[in-house]
Amino acid sequence: MTKALMLLAVFLPIAAAWFIYPLRRRDREYRNLYIRIIPGIELAIALLLALLPRGTASLPEVCGLGLHFATGSFQSMLAVIAAFLWMMTALPCREYFEAYTNSNRFYFYWLLTLGALMGVFLAADLFTLFVFFEMMSFTSWVWVAWPETPKALDAAKTYLAVAVFGGMVLLVGLFVLQHLLGTLRFTEMAALAKILPEEKRDQLLIGGICCLVGFGAKAGMFPLHIWLPKAHPVAPAPASALLSGILTKSGVFGILVVARYLLWNDVRWNETVLLLGTITMVLGAVLALFSIDLKRTLACSSMSQIGFILLGVAMQGYLGEENALAAWGTVLHMLNHSLIKLVLFVAAGVIYLGNHHQLDLNVIRGYGRNKPFLKTVFFIGAASIAGIPGFSGYVSKTLLHESIVEYIHELLQSGENALPFEVVEWLFLISGGLTLAYMTKLFICIFVEQRPAGASAGVQEYLSPATRVALTLGATAMGVLGLTPGLTMEPIARWAGIFLWAGEGHAVHYFALVNLKGALVSIAIGIGIYAMVVCTALRRRKGSEVVYPDLWPEKLDLETLLYRPVLRALSFLGALCARIVASVGDFIVFLGEKLLFLRAPGIFVPKRTENFGAYEKKPRRLLITEAFSFDLLLAGGGLLFLLVYILFA
Amino acid sequence: MLLVPVLLPIIGGIFVFRQKTEKTRNRMVLWLSGVTAVCAVILCVLPEQSMDLLTIEGSLRLGLRSDALSKFFMALISLIWVPVSVFSFPYIRHAEHEQQFEGFYTMTLGILMGLALAKNFVTMYMFFEMMSLITMPLVLHNATPTARRAGFKYLGYSVFGAGMALAGFFFVWPHLAVSNFLAGGALLSSAAEHRDELLFVWLVMIVGFGAKAGMMPMQSWLPSAHPVAPAPASAVLSGVITKGGVLAIIRVTYYMFGPAFLADSWAQETLVILALGTVFIGSMLALREQQFKKRLAYSTVSQISYALFGLLLLTPEGFEGAMLQIVFHALAKDTLFLAAGAVILSTNCTRVDQLRGIGRRMPVTMGCFTVAALSLIGIPPMSGFFSKWVLATGALATGNPLFGWGGVAVLILSALLTAGYLLPIVSAGFFPGSDNIPDQREVGPQMTVPMMIFAGLALVLGVFPQWVMHAAQALAKLVF
Repeated sequence: MTKALMLLAVFLPIAAAWFIYPLRRRDREYRNLYIRIIPGIELAIALLLALLPRGTASLPEVCGLGLHFATGSFQSMLAVIAAFLWMMTALPCREYFEAYTNSNRFYFYWLLTLGALMGVFLAADLFTLFVFFEMMSFTSWVWVAWPETPKALDAAKTYLAVAVFGGMVLLVGLFVLQHLLGTLRFTEMAALAKILPEEKRDQLLIGGICCLVGFGAKAGMFPLHIWLPKAHPVAPAPASALLSGILTKSGVFGILVVARYLLWNDVRWNETVLLLGTITMVLGAVLALFSIDLKRTLACSSMSQIGFILLGVAMQGYLGEENALAAWGTVLHMLNHSLIKLVLFVAAGVIYLGNHHQLDLNVIRGYGRNKPFLKTVFFIGAASIAGIPGFSGYVSKTLLHESIVEYIHELLQSGENALPFEVVEWLFLISGGLTLAYMTKLFICIFVEQRPAGASAGVQEYLSPATRVALTLGATAMGVLGLTPGLTMEPIARWAGIFLWAGEGHAVHYFALVNLKGALVSIAIGIGIYAMVVCTALRRRKGSEVVYPDLWPEKLDLETLLYRPVLRALSFLGALCARIVASVGDFIVFLGEKLLFLRAPGIFVPKRTENFGAYEKKPRRLLITEAFSFDLLLAGGGLLFLLVYILFA
Repeated sequence: MLLVPVLLPIIGGIFVFRQKTEKTRNRMVLWLSGVTAVCAVILCVLPEQSMDLLTIEGSLRLGLRSDALSKFFMALISLIWVPVSVFSFPYIRHAEHEQQFEGFYTMTLGILMGLALAKNFVTMYMFFEMMSLITMPLVLHNATPTARRAGFKYLGYSVFGAGMALAGFFFVWPHLAVSNFLAGGALLSSAAEHRDELLFVWLVMIVGFGAKAGMMPMQSWLPSAHPVAPAPASAVLSGVITKGGVLAIIRVTYYMFGPAFLADSWAQETLVILALGTVFIGSMLALREQQFKKRLAYSTVSQISYALFGLLLLTPEGFEGAMLQIVFHALAKDTLFLAAGAVILSTNCTRVDQLRGIGRRMPVTMGCFTVAALSLIGIPPMSGFFSKWVLATGALATGNPLFGWGGVAVLILSALLTAGYLLPIVSAGFFPGSDNIPDQREVGPQMTVPMMIFAGLALVLGVFPQWVMHAAQALAKLVF
């Protein structure tokens, strides 16, 4: 039962995708219904799998090493989130794509990606994970390229390059791990890694770091985050919600597997993840603050939140046995971030449609003034991601913060230097503050400011009932989780923590003053930043109008500044060397020709070889012609004659 | 029985020259290739057969035998040949002189069968030279000055390479225990005294046959010959005929010298470096090449050296990986060349930058192209992924850091470059930008169906690679 359901969860969407085109040919409405039903079935399957006891399934020898699947705890949770997000984003699709042609192509890859993502989350070994991970990378690439605007094509190029690079580095990691351990099954890997001799630890770390690069590329981790702020804004809103809400989580899932099953006590690994996570967190937040594009802000915010999650991954490693808080924080922040980004990106889609496909803050300013529903759901999402107490994001951020504080305590008690972690703690709080600042900037711009002169206030019927349902459900889920952390979030975290080998942990009083302190510091920083940075520099008054200037220098971009020139130089150098080495053979021939043909013309070959290959130009006189190719034919015939003679002689 | 697949197409090919009407000629080519393929498959099913043709002198004989390796290659050749010949009918109609092309094309099949069936070195050498000669008219079919030049180059490199191999054979001949190929090596035990000398001979022979397989330093005929040849000819040149060089290398390495004799030697290291160098150089030059078919030709240079790398590891895993790579590369590259041919025929675009929007114009062709491109890069679940997986894990398993880490590094780098030179074609083809609205100009089913067969196999064999893997494992068990 579990087995069949598991395979169905992975292969149903992949098989279902092929019916999109024939259905559309029958009737557009059939197709629109179809793409809502399939994720619905998928959600039912995922929920069933979560409720049923743990199970495994395998397809031996498929793709060479066989595909292996498992359910239970964290994996089931991610599968449920994925199916839920797909179902919710299916609702606004119809409205969103009404103005476009060629949406079949999008829907086709939309369903394929769902199947692939299920494969990633339900994988029981790294090989299966990799197979579906690559599928997902390529099918989701179509989402980004789909609008076919110059910006989208440029973003798609970056996305594809990062995805291919990440995939290949990940593959190297898999080769190394397979070579070292002989298996890629999660559970067996952990046991084998434990008894690995000391001198092979370095190789294990290399394998792990390769995996980190590969998975990190998908998660949007620094320094491979470059695709994220480009791709999310250009993809259609339902796709951005998925890219940001759940596809990045597939990378995090992979990093978690490596961290918890291979390198849980490797200091160098933890340091690497902590460092990259912190940079991602701060950089994402700063980029988001400066952005003046609604979806770009949300994309950079995703990057920053992934940094928070990576911080949790690193803290799990540092804390050893006492890692319950960090593990719960990681799991819950993944869950919260998915829901938050679902609501925010779908809302951004609504704003996009209402403003003639524009996302610039100066254009969409004041769009939400007379739209209380949109204002409410956006507020819930914004408050949640900013970590305001009472909203779901507060709980997970508090847990993550507590885990850092706990480790600082541990270090101080044993008399070690805790300074790096104190710095990390402050950066954590500052990033939280930045989150609040950029979300406030967005909220005030869209829902409080006046409309720009000449822009209409927007119609009353600005969103369809289906979109309303999606937004309501997402916001409600967030609200319920945020108001009842002990009742809902903690059991989920405990259940998901099993996969991450989380410790026992203890109940946390989320609304106790100790725990509120971190959030309050963060909020104070956020208000300070908004008042001092945003109101002075990033929001200017020009006459009676408010203007949001784009202050981020266009040149300051890792891709144009570093990656592209380096790649160009490398490819030039490589091609130069290759060209020189490859011409050695030809050069010798050339020398020989010069010496033999030109010094002594007419001796070795006739100077003019016009008969060569020109068999069609000459009249054919039975068997005698002057064409060289015909001579060849005769030679072959002679050989044949010889063979026949030998046979019968 | 052994002679049927060899002689039938060769003799039949002569009659193809005389057929003036297109319909009978096409039917004849199809029947000849079809019957040959069926005979080859029957031979594959039957137990091993052997026959001697004539004795040149003493134990130097011409003879045919259908051993496991022959069967593997005969199956591959048959699989590729028939669909490509269907593809060639409408294609060659536009290139004129159909009789010549179809005639030589059919005869090549017989010679390839002979090459696969050859029982000893002398027979193999004879068929090898015949193959070079008989395929040359295919290369210079267009009879333009460039084509003639390319044809000369092709012939020169092939014959020179084969000559090197023959020279090597004279040296190794006294040390052979039996004149026929013997799985696992046929060297006398006394050969160990002359190890260094024999290793050098082996090196020379491999470099010589490597010319056909596009290995450095004699790879440069490939990028000259492929672009000028008609698409079906490039497809079989790249998919099958270069594999003739690989087959010869397998015969020399595993059926004459034997892996045990050669392993861990300076010659092996030199050749592995050559093969890896070729992998990198081929990909790198393909990345910078703007001419469509030439880019694919460079890609062939690189991809075949993957297989050579696997063979030269001299371990069972490497051997299995190489056999998989031979099959999977043939499928993928044939799809790519056929797609390129279809594109050139339908749009007259020969440069890569002219292909914007081509996916909208020819969705089926470019769909097949995409599947094959992904397979060539090594993206799961396409077949190319698994062959690279086996090669890389096999390389790491040798324990030699040069083979293991160097091999994995070059394989991955080359995979990245492969993505770099194939995927832009796909992405610009399917996503040209919203301003580009081309008309549909798909080619007919005679051209699309062969492509779909190959692309479909590239995918299906990727999901179920064990069908090929079992054959490769059985072969590996024989030679080790």
